[in-house]
Order: sequence, then structure tokens, then C-alpha cells
Amino acid sequence: MTLSGRDAYRDELTHLATEDERILCLEADLGGSKHPFAAGHPDRFFNLGIAEGAMVDMAAGLAAAGYKPFVSTFAPFAALRAAESVKLSLGYFGAGVTIVAPYAGVAGAWFGTTHQCLEDFAVLRGIPGIVVAAPHGEEEMRAVVRGAAVSDRPHYIRTGRNAKPASLPRPATGIPLVNWEHVPEESDEVCLVSVGETGTELALRAREAHPALAHAHLCFVDHHHLQQAADELSARYHRFVVVEEHRPDGGVASALALLMPGCTVHTVNAGHEWLSCGGDHAEVLTQLGMDLPAVLEAVERCRSNHPPLVKKGT
Amino acid sequence: MTPQAHSLTASLDSGTALHERALAARKLVIDMAASERGCHLGGSLSAMDIMIAALDRVAADEGSRMVLSKGHAAAGLYSALYLTGMLAENPAPLYGSVEHHYTGHPTHAVPGVTFPTGSLGHGVAYAAGWAMARRTAGADGLGIAVAGDGELQEGLVWETCQVAAARRLGNFVLVVDRNKGQNDGLVVDISPMAELAERFRSFGFDTVEVDGHDLTELSGIFARDRRDSECPLAVLADTVKGKGLPPVEGKAASHYVTIDAERAAKWKEIVR
Repeated sequence: MTLSGRDAYRDELTHLATEDERILCLEADLGGSKHPFAAGHPDRFFNLGIAEGAMVDMAAGLAAAGYKPFVSTFAPFAALRAAESVKLSLGYFGAGVTIVAPYAGVAGAWFGTTHQCLEDFAVLRGIPGIVVAAPHGEEEMRAVVRGAAVSDRPHYIRTGRNAKPASLPRPATGIPLVNWEHVPEESDEVCLVSVGETGTELALRAREAHPALAHAHLCFVDHHHLQQAADELSARYHRFVVVEEHRPDGGVASALALLMPGCTVHTVNAGHEWLSCGGDHAEVLTQLGMDLPAVLEAVERCRSNHPPLVKKGT
Repeated sequence: MTPQAHSLTASLDSGTALHERALAARKLVIDMAASERGCHLGGSLSAMDIMIAALDRVAADEGSRMVLSKGHAAAGLYSALYLTGMLAENPAPLYGSVEHHYTGHPTHAVPGVTFPTGSLGHGVAYAAGWAMARRTAGADGLGIAVAGDGELQEGLVWETCQVAAARRLGNFVLVVDRNKGQNDGLVVDISPMAELAERFRSFGFDTVEVDGHDLTELSGIFARDRRDSECPLAVLADTVKGKGLPPVEGKAASHYVTIDAERAAKWKEIVR
């Protein structure tokens, strides 16, 4: 049975902690009453209560003392409420703390704007030194968590709510810088670049509709990783449509446009609107202009060489 | 391997020795006030005795850490670290200069600085995290945070106090440098905190109110491991802004001071 991103995180961390007693699991009252880590390692599971900023700074103290704290709370509270703690403790201080942030994008849907986060890439990518990951599917999430557990570097891992996308094929050696999910024989086609659960699912559907489209999936989207990914992307293609569940500002598309000044970068994103209505995840995405027709339209615009939404080199 | 228990590796120094150390550190703070940048003089001097006593414990116990959460007293911290032997070079001539790390709020690039502070409240949470790590490892060692009384207006302080009490972190020690001043004036005029001891007790803290310039009493507090305590400790240390320097003692204007070399020389003669 395929697990959602957050359930895959919890399960993988619980297994890893059996072998590594330095791993701690911290929650800010959003881990649920049946967290597997709490059952498997009750002496290393801590629900600190509704105290996100304190949790992140305390995790820095725990890391300095030799532990590997994994802290989790919803993306809006991790990336925005606790932003200064993230800047100081993970960024400037460089503590080996991993933040796992479900409810990123609009996965929270009808729960409303307070429980959505379309700004976390902008915040996290703006803080040097933090590995930022947006895994798609259970296997990629597990691989990212395993990597964070053996790394001394701070991590921010973005995921959704209960979606369970099927994992993409990937090399057994780990997570590639660019996962070339589909490379058609015709090399002058537009290349879709997908980020996160929603971006990748939309890109897959667009590629099914137009098999000649290339598709590159990115898991790591911090500046350091994107710099290298941009070299690999631009070596193969020069026209891109980036699909990401984020606002246009501070997202992956704008970063790639800067990193690939010789290429055309179009984007399908969540725009600038504030929604105040209900609906499930897909319905909210549609209201924000993130659906298959929007992706196909962006591809067509890119093909026709219309002016890109994100201008080159800006 | 989890963090291991450590015991005190050296004996704590006497009150007299600590006083001499604090006096020498105060003179370095005056030197920094005479730098091109000036410094937070009043708060550095009010917190000096607390830091000297706490660092004496930390220097003798690798399981304990002290965080200056009121990071604007950086000049005092650098001086105290140097006089305690945790910092090899005299920071005063280098303070605020482009090629050195002695910034106006402390950075961990300076040896002995535990955590970068200056944005208030964060050091309190870091120290609680350190204390939690020691407790989780079954080890002794204190997580000591030195906060200002103005700093208590930050929500993060109380968020952390709630967590520390709930986690029964008896080895977390929050020292409040109660010098009664903050950037724009007096705490009592801006956002007073009535019944502070009772406030901490209601959170589940042990509390003690002390003369924040009594090095013997402070040293005695930091000497205790608190291994059997399940209540964090709030030390409400009554202090005087600008302590030790009669021309500025108790004066709000001592918050940030820039002086010339001639005045610095005079002040170093009278500082006590």
C-alpha cells in the first residue's frame, strides 16, 4: 500500500531510529495520537505542544548536544511562524535539524488560508545553507529522510496532506539532481520541469496528453542544488515549463530563469490570489489556475514562443 | 552514541577571584565603549556578574552551556569569555572592526559563544534545548540562559517556559537580568511585568530572587546540578544598569554609549 508523504516520513524515521539512537522526533501537536515513532521509541518522541518557534530553537540546542532532531509541523507554521528561528538555528547557526512540513501548497484545501502555504520556497530558498526538498511519492520521501538522517546539514522537507502519488522510477543509487522521467527522441521539444507532489502529477498528465514533451523532475530545490540542475537542464533543452504549487515569487521557476539566462522559462504556479472558499485540493488548485489545461496552455505558449511569464534574466 | 554524562572537571573559583575577574572585564567593556562603534554599556555591566559566575560553571563542566540571550550585551560577553579563559585574545581592540568577529550582537564564530543572539528570545529556547538534551541522555549539566527583563516581553520566552515546564527540565536555568531598563526607557513605563516571581511559579518554575551582583550567591546557584529537580529555575537577579561605574549607574542613557579615550581612562580608574 502506497503511503502519503507525511506517513512515509513517519514510518521511515521510525525505522531509522531503531539503528540510530541519536534520532529524536519532535512534534508541535500536529503529529496525531497514533504516531508510529511514539509507539516505537516513546523515550525519543516529544510533543512539545503548540510552540513552533521554541521547537525549532530547542532543536538547535539538541543538535548541538549530539542529537539528530526531526521536527514536524504544518508548512505555514514551520516556514512562516517560525521563520526567524529557522533563519538563525538552521541557516546561520547551521544546526543539523530537519524540518518536515506537511500541508505545503494548498493541500490543506478547505481548511483555509491559515492552513495553506504557498510561500515556503520563497522563505526557505532565501536562507542559505538549508537543503530544501519537495519529494514526490513514498519512495522519494523515504530516500530524502534517509539522506537527512546521515547528514549533518539542516533540511526542510515539504510535503502534502494525504495524497499518495505513485513513486517515479529513479536510479537505485539515490535521488538524482535531475530525474529525467521522460526524454523523447525529438530533442527540440519543450521540457516540463516538475516540483513537488502536485507539480509532478500535473506534469505527468500533460506528458501523457503530449508524449513528445520531455519531463524532468526535481526533488532538491535549494539554490545549491538548482545551480547544478540548471546546468544539466540547459545542456539538453532550451524551452521549459516549470510546474510548482507555489506563488511565482521566490519559487523554482523564477530561480531557474535567473540560472538559465539563455533559455525560455514559463511557469504554471498558484499565482497571487488569496482564496477564501472551500473545496478539495484539486478544486482549490483549479481556482488558483493550477490544472491540466493551464499546463497545456503554458506548453503551447512556450512552443509558440510567446513572451514568457517569467522573463529571461530577470 | 548518545551525548554522555560529564562531571565537573575543575573546581569553581572563589567569590574574590570572580570579583577580580568581573572588574577586569568591566574595564574591557569601557574600552569597547571608547571604540569607534561604542557599545551597549549599561546592559553589559548589569549582566557582567551573572555571566562571570555562569561561565565559571561552564568552564568547569563541559556538560553545561550558557547563552547570552540578551545579545546586545555582547561587549560584556566577549569580555567575560576572555577573562574566564574561554577566549584566547583580548576582544576590546578588535571589537566592531571589519576583520574580526566581535560584532555588536554575538556570533558563534567567536570561540565560547554558544549561539548567535540579538533577536530576543531565541537564546532562551536554545538553552532549554541544551538542557533537554542532557536530560534525554540521562546526563548532568545545565542549560543556562541570561535574558533581560525587557526581553520577557517577547512571546518566544514564554512559549519556551511553557515547554520547559511541561518537559520538567529542572536543569534549565533562566536568569533574568532585572536592570529595569530597555531600549526606549524603563520597563515599568513601557510594558511592566507585575508579580514576576509569581508569574514564573505559575508556569511551574522554581524561583529565586537574588542580588545580581552578589557573585558568591550567583556562583552557589550555578554550582548546583539540579539533577533531582523537575522544575526549571528562574533566577530573578536584581541588577543596576551600568553597575560598577558611578557616573552611569542606574541611568537609562547608559543603554548605548560611545566615549572618547580620555573619558575611558578616567572611568577605568573609578570602576569597581
